[in-house]
Amino acid sequence: MARRINLVGQIPLITLLALCVVTAFLTNRFLSPLNLTNILVQSSIMAVIAIGMTFVIVGGGFDLSVGSTVAFAGCIAAMTMAKFGIAAGVLAGVVTGALVGLANGLIVAKLGVNPFITTLGTMVLVRGLVYLVTGGAPVGDDELPSSFIAFGSGRLLGVHYLVWVPAILVVVLSFVMHMTPYGRRIYATGGNREVAYLSGVPVDRIITSTYVWCGALAGIAGVMLTARLQSGQPTAGEFYELTAIAAVVLGGASLHGGEGTLYKSIIGVFIMIVLGNSLNLLNVDSYWQRVAIGAVIIAAAAADRLRSRL
Amino acid sequence: MTLADVAMATPAASVKHASKSFGATRALDDVDFDVMPGEIHALVGENGAGKSTLVRLLGGIHRPDAGEIAVNGQSCRFNNPHDAIVAGIATIPQELRLVPALSVAENLTLDDPPVRYVLGIPLIDRAAMRQQARQALAQLDFVPDPDIRVDRLSFAERQLVAISKALRRRCRLLILDEPTAALETREIERLFAVLRRMKSQGAAIVYVSHRLDEVVALADRCTVLRDGKVVAMSRRGAFAVGDLVQAMTGRAAADMTAELLAPGAVLIDDGTVRLRAREVLGLAGLLGSGTSGVPHRLFSNPKEAIRSGIGMVPNERRLGLVLSQSVRDNILLPNLDRIARGGVIDRAAGTALVVRFMELLDIRPRDPALPASALSGGNQQKVILAKWLAREVGVLLLDEPTQGVDVAAKAQIHALIRSFARDGGAALVASSDLAEITRLCDGILAMRHGRVVERIDRGDGYDEARLHTAIGG
Repeated sequence: MARRINLVGQIPLITLLALCVVTAFLTNRFLSPLNLTNILVQSSIMAVIAIGMTFVIVGGGFDLSVGSTVAFAGCIAAMTMAKFGIAAGVLAGVVTGALVGLANGLIVAKLGVNPFITTLGTMVLVRGLVYLVTGGAPVGDDELPSSFIAFGSGRLLGVHYLVWVPAILVVVLSFVMHMTPYGRRIYATGGNREVAYLSGVPVDRIITSTYVWCGALAGIAGVMLTARLQSGQPTAGEFYELTAIAAVVLGGASLHGGEGTLYKSIIGVFIMIVLGNSLNLLNVDSYWQRVAIGAVIIAAAAADRLRSRL
Repeated sequence: MTLADVAMATPAASVKHASKSFGATRALDDVDFDVMPGEIHALVGENGAGKSTLVRLLGGIHRPDAGEIAVNGQSCRFNNPHDAIVAGIATIPQELRLVPALSVAENLTLDDPPVRYVLGIPLIDRAAMRQQARQALAQLDFVPDPDIRVDRLSFAERQLVAISKALRRRCRLLILDEPTAALETREIERLFAVLRRMKSQGAAIVYVSHRLDEVVALADRCTVLRDGKVVAMSRRGAFAVGDLVQAMTGRAAADMTAELLAPGAVLIDDGTVRLRAREVLGLAGLLGSGTSGVPHRLFSNPKEAIRSGIGMVPNERRLGLVLSQSVRDNILLPNLDRIARGGVIDRAAGTALVVRFMELLDIRPRDPALPASALSGGNQQKVILAKWLAREVGVLLLDEPTQGVDVAAKAQIHALIRSFARDGGAALVASSDLAEITRLCDGILAMRHGRVVERIDRGDGYDEARLHTAIGG
């Protein structure tokens, strides 16, 4: 019995390995160092978003606004950085994201509005704000500090700076999730809000905090994207929320809340990115790629249902 | 009907040599069971004894591995619940299958709503629907407004709607699973009257219950299951509560009467309730008299209450446990701040705490990693108690602490509450089970309409009859 449950827990990793093996057989370009580096860098930004999304989903919520938040925070960071330097720019980006998350969290936890509707609203609203502050054009082009641009493409110990960010975050935040009372209270709140409340957990504050994490991490992702694109792009981050949610669910988190781990969400991100990468390498038509990724999202949700029946 | 007639008649439904396993667990082992037309046949046993499995075989939810099911003497094979319903077997589960947002009449006629044709288009005939609903409910002496939404009714009323819905399908056999778990005394009496009337009209009824006094009062025959086997089957008059307990558990029922304690300092005094250390205080009253409101009021701000040393065992287990999470996580939930050192959980301290209380409360299976949903009702209830005992609370508020738990677990929970009080704790128990209250408590507050009308102490001598009068039952 215990062994079977363990196997169910390793489905994401097995899926990822199977995907890699199949692709490696179909094209020898997959295992080239260049391609693998490319996958890591592509995954890094999505991984940061997925970490935040895991907080929200484990806490029993849902956040559609992260894509817009990535663009908003990225543009605010670029505009601030162009005037006041790197530190101020990064801080502005993260705080912007955290504030969007705080708004989401307060509306969901205090007003009791459904998370889907709340974040659907902020998704559209924040995207509108991006266009308002940028006028719809890229910002910070040629104005960003060169050391910030270097951060977007440079390496430390042979690994891109961009990859170090989620790597460090996943270690630190996994510790928070599993080894602190705060982390266990997120799981309890997502597992059953009423039980958590009756056990003395400040559930409103816990739920709000998960959205703040999600927003702040989307803010960090926005800053990373700005570094990579060398400017703030108001159109950036579209559909990121869907990829992030799909990745978290692929990683075994339950949309009912109370279940999920950060590192498995990262595996979910790799599944999404490797899938896209292998379809590219195999020269699959980009329209068909969308069909395939949509099917994977549905399959992930169906797997969530099946798992809850086990 | 004489016994000879019963022997001659064909059973309304029967199960012969039925076995059913789930994985390595043998849930039913060569079980024979039958129920005659015009008979109430009770099915009792501890949790895990196989009652639910047997009921599910009859209801078409499970298929037997071996053995046969017959309805009216005809061998049948149910592939799904629908087959059983067509064969005339209706099950009334604890969670009633009614649509809350629809009216009484709509629920009753959901399977085959009366239609009339206007220009060849079938439309619901609302007048006929109401008429049919009224007729069906009148058989049970229940006359609600057929247009009222089901979610506006009390549980007892919804249950009557569910029974009436089963009767409309001309059911041969009615199976009731713990029907009185959420009912108060007067409602139980009404339900019993309905069941007796149905019986006199020739219906066969299978009655599954934990409340043995009800079984003795109501059943014509009683079958006792233990570990998937039939261990006793006797007729009315041939069994009493003590015999049933012995058959169910395999040992004699301990005569548990609480010892007298000398109460200490007053821990809670809110005008309604004055609760002292070393005391178990009961709240007795009819449903709606406000008994469960008292513990909820004392626990209206959980964080504050917990900080001042109060723990709460709510009346529904889904309010006490995160079912998807492990026993360990559940026990530790209100104790996280106590096992953290510098903001980080001390895993060894957590494990020590969990192991100690799983031993102390005899929580089985002894596996802290198991999800709470995998435990029996009695063990789940013990996990909820462990949450608070591990926190060393001074006051326990318990709302229907033994609802839906088997006899053995009930005795264990009672013993735990007593020893909690003996060690200086104060317990407040709201229960609709008067036998439980009189046995467990040192003092009883009789409640009517949200107010305490009388306090009776053990020293004054009390029994169920006196309590009945006090609460106006």
